[in-house]
Order: sequence, then C-alpha cells, then structure tokens
Amino acid sequence: MTTLDQTVADSTLTDPTPTNRTPTEAAATAAPAHGIPDPAVLVARRRPGHVLEGPFYTSPEIFALDIDAVYAKQWIFVATEPEIAEPGDYVTIDLGRYSVIVLRDDDGQVRALHNVCRHRGSRVLLEERGSVGNLVCGYHQWTYATDGRLLHAGEQPPEFDKACFGLRQVAVRTVGGLIFICLATSPPEDFDDVADRIEPYLAPHDLANTKVAAQVDLVEHGNWKLVMENNRECYHCEAGHPELTCTFFPTYGFALEDIPARLMPAHARYLKAGVDLARACDERGLPHAEIEELTDRSTGFRIQREPLDGAGESYTRDGKAACRKLLGDLDIPRLGRLSMHTQPNAWFHFQADHVVTFSVLPLAADRTLVRTTWHVHRDAVEGEDYDLDHLTEVWSRTNEQDGEFVARTQAGVSSPAFVPGPYSSSEYQVDALVTWYLQRLQEHLGR
Amino acid sequence: MTDMLQRLPAPEVAQQLTDDFDGLLTCVEITPITHDVTSFTFALPGGAGLIFAPGQYLTITVEVDGVQLERCYTISSSPAQPERPTITVKRSPDGPVSTWLHDQLRVGDVVSAAGPYGLFSTATHPARKVLFLSAGSGITPLMSMTRAMRDQALVCGSGSGLSGPGLGEPLDIVFVHCARTPDDIIFRAELEALAAGGLAAVTIICQDDSPQEVWQGPRGRLTLGALFAAAPDVLDREVFTCGPPRFMAAVAEHLTLIAADPARSHRESFVLDAGAPASERALSGTSHLVTFARSGVTVECDAATTVLATAASAGLRLPSSCQGGVCGTCKSTLLSGQVDMQQAGGIRQREIDEGKFLPCCSTPLGDLEIDA
Repeated sequence: MTTLDQTVADSTLTDPTPTNRTPTEAAATAAPAHGIPDPAVLVARRRPGHVLEGPFYTSPEIFALDIDAVYAKQWIFVATEPEIAEPGDYVTIDLGRYSVIVLRDDDGQVRALHNVCRHRGSRVLLEERGSVGNLVCGYHQWTYATDGRLLHAGEQPPEFDKACFGLRQVAVRTVGGLIFICLATSPPEDFDDVADRIEPYLAPHDLANTKVAAQVDLVEHGNWKLVMENNRECYHCEAGHPELTCTFFPTYGFALEDIPARLMPAHARYLKAGVDLARACDERGLPHAEIEELTDRSTGFRIQREPLDGAGESYTRDGKAACRKLLGDLDIPRLGRLSMHTQPNAWFHFQADHVVTFSVLPLAADRTLVRTTWHVHRDAVEGEDYDLDHLTEVWSRTNEQDGEFVARTQAGVSSPAFVPGPYSSSEYQVDALVTWYLQRLQEHLGR
Repeated sequence: MTDMLQRLPAPEVAQQLTDDFDGLLTCVEITPITHDVTSFTFALPGGAGLIFAPGQYLTITVEVDGVQLERCYTISSSPAQPERPTITVKRSPDGPVSTWLHDQLRVGDVVSAAGPYGLFSTATHPARKVLFLSAGSGITPLMSMTRAMRDQALVCGSGSGLSGPGLGEPLDIVFVHCARTPDDIIFRAELEALAAGGLAAVTIICQDDSPQEVWQGPRGRLTLGALFAAAPDVLDREVFTCGPPRFMAAVAEHLTLIAADPARSHRESFVLDAGAPASERALSGTSHLVTFARSGVTVECDAATTVLATAASAGLRLPSSCQGGVCGTCKSTLLSGQVDMQQAGGIRQREIDEGKFLPCCSTPLGDLEIDA
C-alpha cells in the first residue's frame, strides 16, 4: 500500500489541474493510480460536510474493510418474519465472505446460523430461499436441526461428540417483524434500547402477520454507500422521481429557509397534512414524533410517522390505499407513512395498507443488492384486494431511477478527476450517514 | 344577515333592529385601549339595535374646523350586542378625524354615521377553521369576528369550546397579531384571555420592546416561518387579513408562495383615515386559458404569471428546478399558443423550433395548450 506522502508526490506529476486547490483536494485526487492511501489517513482527512473521497467507493481494500468494520460488526437488517413464515422456511444472506442462514426453527423461533458446515466447511444451503426439514450438507450429509444442533454425522468414531459441532449461531433479533442479524461475537448492546423505542411505532402494523406480496432484487452498479446516501436525501426527488413525488413531499429534509419558492406549495401541504396526521395519530394512540439518532451510537436510526401528499394513505399515484385490507387493527387508511431507517443498510415505509422494506447488501465495491419487499395483510387476495402492479409501481420505478443515479455516481467517483463536493443543508442525513460510517471505521481501526 | 338575526340573544330589542342605518349616533362610552387607541361605543336613536356582520364598518362623518369629513371605521364589538356598536380608533397625528374623535368627542355627543357596509366577514365566508392575520389597528374587524364567534357559542350554549354554525364541530381560530411594541398591542388582555380559555390559538409578534417591557414572544414581522409556526395547516383555513398596506402585501406574497386558494383568502385594507377600504381582492388585468392536455386541466393564467406557477396553482407538479430558464428541467411541449419566454440557456433554438418551451420563464401571450 502506498503511503500518503508518496501519493502526493506522484500527484504533482499526473494531476492536470494543480492550481487553485487546497492541499486536501490535491491529495484527494492523487490516490487511484497507485493504490489507495491508508484508510486511517482517508478517514482522518475527510472534510466535514463533504462527500467521501473516491477510494471509499471504488477500492476493493476499503470494500473489505467495510465488511469487517461495518457489516460484520453492526446490526444488519436482512429479512422480515413473513419471509420465513413457517418452521423450516429460510433465506440465505451473503455479506462479503460470510453466508448466513436465517430461518424459523421447529419451535417457531427466528434463528440465524453460519452457513458453514462444521465438518469441512462446505456451504450447507445453496439456494437463496426455501424450506427444509433438517439442514443437510450436500457434501457428506452432516445433518443439523433447524436450531443448528448436529443430529447426524455418518462414520464418526464413538467418542465423537455431536454436541460440539452444531452450526455456529449468529446473533439475531426481531423487532416489529423485522429481522436483524449481527455477525459480531459481541453485538452492539444499544440495539435493545433502539428496539424498545421503535417497537411501539411498528407494532400497530403487525408486520409479522402480513404476507409477502412481492419481492424485487435490484443489483445497483454502485458502492453500497452510494445507494444509502442516495436514499438519505430528497434533493434529487423533485426532478428524479415523478412517481414518488406524487405523494412523497419533495421538501423532505429541507429547513424552511432553504426551501425553494417553487416547492413552497408542497411544503405548505406537507405542514397541513402533518397537522391532520398528528391529530389522527393522537386519537388512536399511535406514536408519530421524530426520533433521530443517526450518529454517535452503533445502532444509528431515525423514525417518524409522516404525512403523504394526495389522499395521504399510501405510496400510489393518487395517495389512495393500494390494498383494501388494512394492517393490524388500523381503522383508517389515512395514516401517512411510518418511515424508519437504520444505519447502515435499511429503510422502511409502513403504511396502513402495506409495508415496504428495503435491505441493502453489498456485493462488491461497485455492486450492491437492493432487496425491496412489499407486504400486505395476510388475508388480502391478489386481484381482489390489491393489484400487484399498482401496489409495486411507485417504488419499482423509484428504485430503478435511484439505481440509475447510483450507477452514474459510481462512474463519476471512479474518475481520477473526482473531487468531493459539499453537501447541501437538505443532505444532512447523508452527512450523518457518512459520519456514522467513519466513526465505525475509526472504532475498527483503533482496535 | 338573516342568520345573524336568528342568533341574536335579545328578543326584546328585535322590534328595533336595523341593518341599514343613516343618522346620528350618540357616544355612550369611551374606553382607552392603548396609549393611542380608544374605543367609542354608541347608541342608536330610541335604543334601537344595529344588525351587522362582524368585520363590517361604519362611515362616520364629523365636522372639523367647519369642514365635513367622512371616514370609515370597522366595528370592533360583537354583533351579539347590537345596541352598543363600538368602533376602535387609533390616533393618527396626520388624521383630522381620528384626532377629533380622540380629543373632542365626549360621552353624550353625537356623530353622523351610516352603515354597516362591507363583505369582509366570517358571516360572508363561513368556515370551521379560520386564520386571522392582523397588524396594528387592523385587528378591529378580526376582533369583532372573534367576539362574534365567542358570543355565538355562549348563546348556543354549546358547552365547552366554540361551535360552528351548523357544522357540528368546534370552531378553530388561529389569531396572529403584529404590533410595533408590547405597548401597542390592541386588545392584549382580551387576546390573552382568549388564548388562556382555549378559544383561540393566539400568536403576538412585536417588532421591538417598549420602554417598560422586554417582549418575550416572537419578534420581527410576519414571516412565512412565523406563519407556518402559528398555523401549519394554513391551507386548511379561511384566511382573513387586515392591516397596513405593507403587511397586506407580505401576507399576499406568503399566501401566493404556498399556493393557498385565493378564494379562501379575504382581506380588508385598513388604511387609517384614508377613506373606504379597498375592494376585497385586487383583480388582475389580462388572463388566458392554459390547458394541460394530458392532465385534462384548464386554468386561467394571468398574463404576468408564469406557466409553471399556474400549473402549481392548479395542483399540477411539473418537474422544475431553477425557475429562471437555466436548467431546462421543466421543458415541456407547447401544443398550441404563444408564450413570452425569458430563458437563460436552458433550451436550444432547435428545441424551441420543435415546439418545446420552459414553463418556468414563460408567460402566456394567448390561450395555451400544453402536453403535460
């Protein structure tokens, strides 16, 4: 790995525009040709309020670091309970070199197990999802119960103790029907606190008793941070998401004084809808206040019930509900969107009629899986209570548009000419995400 | 007006009510309100009552130095007290009538008066949720409306809170008043009592402290932020505005900016000692019809309003960004008609030749049809 000094020296030969820039900017553009600067140096020299330097989005070394420091250390949202509704139902989740089986065991409990046979290490389950009785490794047929216990290993000596060779457990927590896993042996303990505080917001939607109406895996051609950063601001929404902004107020994240005049009508509608929503929530005892703790803690999160434009019921073109059966005990459709995001990899929208979850799983430095799952009431009948295309239209289109923005950005930040620009005030949540991320890297590198 | 009659509490004066007075009023009470504002309460001949809608005004004629001078003053009292119409007058150093009233009029004196006049009233525009915006002595018609709602609720005996006429739900009043200093807050104690009693959400904004009091509340002028803070649901409310021209202009600008429904915004230009209030709403000159073909919406667009602003006021959201003809985000196809486009590089001539234009910097020169 090249040191910072060497790269700066190199840059004087190759940098086409060496004038009128700060030393930091010059250094920022210097790196790619000869490997990357030390990650600790990159972390230390990040300019507050600015985009990260290019290697954070392009370097395989930093991608590996992200897996170790973030995805293998923090609580990661991977699935919902309805995805594994019955005992034996499972999904497999790949996080870097890790593979994890998330399944419902025979007792109905949600479990997470390393997908590594205790014999010679073969992957046990190869499919992305399915349903099994016991977990059988296809190599030598070592057989595990759904709780991970080794039940059968043929041709072992009599003193072989099966109790010592269960599948290794991965920490797993469910909250409001959402399944989070943590690969660390000592997971961040603050998740308990977060779970206690978000559970009352999520519970009324009774996600665990919904069914998956649709799930779409979109591979975006960009670094996972670009995917999340793009999601954390709505600066781009007005021009970029015509379907979304039928109902999603495009002044999201703006301070009043920063709102352009043309968006004021929408903002006025937002405030009015907020008053109506607050009253509807208060009448029903539904929590709606914002909680925003995006940095300075492991399980950074934000949650708030916020109004939608139009009919105010759901993410559709006119804001009316997309499914006739409401979730849980909710009695009216006009309850806006309970929106939550959790660092580093998820965002959620709970409406009265359906829930959409988004899980971001890094595949490579420049490729990311975005898994979107639409949930409706368990008893809702497709074609009667909801139309699948109508239900999924807004977020399918929005995801495709975001995927395009991410790909374009990935291409741009990969250019040697890329210099990190400043965030606008409405992008404060992007800044918070990046700050949180760098805090995790610092923790990791400091050990 | 008939509605008002039915709601009146005092059947014994019902025989002697008039809604068309022209004669002499006798001053029966003079009440100081602030250092330069005074209320004058009058009696009609024979103890008759004056039927008026809250917000209406009287034309008062007095003789000053041998000259007959006529001025309009809003009635500040409640219609529930028809036998005691009251005007509240701010002394204006350059206003001969207000000066005369303050310095010369005594209890027992008479003035010529005619009225009531005016359509600026909650009676004309009934609504369950109202927003009252006033500055200075512009508070008088709005206080009359507030008192009317309060008294009406008492008469109707609706128990807790106010209730709307036949609307079933409690009335919801947000009252924002702007004053120069705390000493200049007209009806301050009454506003505070209304707030304390839960009858209205009251915000008072002062520009400065007074010598005796450091203002603890919001300061400055009525900004959009202050408006949103007082009434986030302003779009839900029937808006009544009264105050000096600059205040009226600022409110109009705020309401236009947020695309509030002009039909639900009512204004009284309260120009002290300057004759009759201006008409309710200034009408623009030329306008054209703009049709958004795909949306199936046709709206009137003032010749000085951009097509983009017109689209916004019609509830259509065209993608846009710069609003100055630079970025081209709002580029649309003009199916028919001519526009005056003041673009700044956001569109190429060849695109214009293909029928494209930028709604953000284009005003209509005639009726338009747009592919949007």
